[in-house]
Amino acid sequence: MSAAFTLWNKQMVKSLRNQMEMSGMLIQPILWVVLFGVGMGSLLGPSMPGGEDFYITFMLPGIIALTASGGAIGGGATWLHERLQGIVKEYLAAPIPRMSILMGNALSIVTKGLIQSVVILIVGILVGANLSSNPLGWLGALLLVSGFTLGFAGMALSMASSTDNTGAYHAMIMLLNLPLLFLSNALYPLQTMPTWMRVGALINPTTYVVTGLRYMLINNGAELAQVDGIPLWLCFLAIAIFVIAGMWLAYSTFKRSLQ
Amino acid sequence: MSEPSRKNLAVEAKGLVKRFGEDVLAVDGVDLAIQANTIYALLGPNGAGKTTTINILTTLLEPTEGWAKVAGFNVLEQANEVRKSIGVTFQETILDDELTGKQALDYHARLYRMGKEERQAKIAELLALVELEEAANRQVSTYSGGMKRRLELIRGLMTEPKVLFLDEPTLGLDPQSRARIGDYIVELKEQRGMSVLLTTHYMDEAEKLSDKVAIIDHGKILIQGTPSELVEQMGADVITITGHGNQDAFVAKVNDLACCETITTGNGILQIGVDSGSRRLVEIISIANNEGYVVDDISVAKPSLGDVFLKYTGRQFRD
Repeated sequence: MSAAFTLWNKQMVKSLRNQMEMSGMLIQPILWVVLFGVGMGSLLGPSMPGGEDFYITFMLPGIIALTASGGAIGGGATWLHERLQGIVKEYLAAPIPRMSILMGNALSIVTKGLIQSVVILIVGILVGANLSSNPLGWLGALLLVSGFTLGFAGMALSMASSTDNTGAYHAMIMLLNLPLLFLSNALYPLQTMPTWMRVGALINPTTYVVTGLRYMLINNGAELAQVDGIPLWLCFLAIAIFVIAGMWLAYSTFKRSLQ
Repeated sequence: MSEPSRKNLAVEAKGLVKRFGEDVLAVDGVDLAIQANTIYALLGPNGAGKTTTINILTTLLEPTEGWAKVAGFNVLEQANEVRKSIGVTFQETILDDELTGKQALDYHARLYRMGKEERQAKIAELLALVELEEAANRQVSTYSGGMKRRLELIRGLMTEPKVLFLDEPTLGLDPQSRARIGDYIVELKEQRGMSVLLTTHYMDEAEKLSDKVAIIDHGKILIQGTPSELVEQMGADVITITGHGNQDAFVAKVNDLACCETITTGNGILQIGVDSGSRRLVEIISIANNEGYVVDDISVAKPSLGDVFLKYTGRQFRD
């Protein structure tokens, strides 16, 4: 585990030193909340039960999930770059477990995702989202986001291990990313979807992170979350499975790429 | 030379084979026995299997067949022990541009669980060895190619490896930097007792640095020995000819001469090892005239490792 920590530390130092990466990382979620949230909110808000602020509150968990998956995609691209450059060889020749190489990368993705999530929440409050002030709720929410990011990072690292082509990686990961966002309850509630879509949304981990965040982050969020019929414990269970599946996938693909 | 004792082998390999998929046979039955505290150079054209061999020995790749031991440990069953015993410089320059030289060394040593004080002492010592102290706190992106290579060399030394693998350590460097790195490598062997396996594109370098040289092509080791052993078997002088015309008849006639020990044809270049270049030159030209072979260029020189290389691989080294 100390090797994973060392590699995490190295990735973070590299990112912090890269001003372009840092400013993009911080500004992008702000733009999402302000442009998409406020825009959609003023379009849909008046027709909604809680008024204009309702939609921002409703979709904030979705923006967090989207940003987290975007971070994981970026992390996968970094990993692909390190593989193609040969940087990974330095780690492979070192007496450290193969899994710790992946974990170091995945953990740095999670760390950046958490920083972005906090930025989104703060900007959300500023533009009027109705968030809970319960610290336990925030803690649980950040835990759930970490799990979701880790699982998605596993999928991205797996794809970045299975190809040597940057274009192919981005094409594949975008193909995965699109339904992960839109085939979920992130932007619209489950019950308005046709049945086939609802089935898709129910096997999508995004639905569980979004629902869990609604439970824990939003004032009287249980009311909002329960309409989809998913209990909070199931959110944690689903994300735990996603983490294990994602990292296992990354590990087995990475191992295969070393043959 | 006496039979090497197996205990003293830095690298030992038997029947190494590496296949990629169905079609590519990168390494085809390589045997190695590299004595501890020696410098061993693998020479071969691009795609000969040098890097794949190094990747197997450094535990990055698993061999399809055969086995190998490094510092006495099996690369498959005791991979972690092998990793603790080796230092590696890969063919590509692999450094994080965003880190400083010092950080690159420090993170590397942390992966090997070296303590903080030990790391700091080692970093200072090695930076001094390759004269990089002044650049130590600068980002690697500001380094020249030679500085990067020197930094990578000492990164491989941070953990005091018993066996050092250097894949093209001087590729693309100017002659001055090459000479400098060559000096460091000899120093490592002589003063720190390290064993070094290196690959290089530079014949003069291999000849100067290494105790033993192996020529590898198509995944097979064609010949190995000390540089002087290999060079001596070429004859006292080498006459190198390029030309056109009835080459086969010319070659056949030359081969009939008792004086001529070797003849190679590759890329239209003929190489004739002879007992005395100045004495045989006239004789060979007259054979060419008689057999209808037109000589475009002819030269006489003392044989070098490059001639040995050409003889065994049929290719000029820079191909």
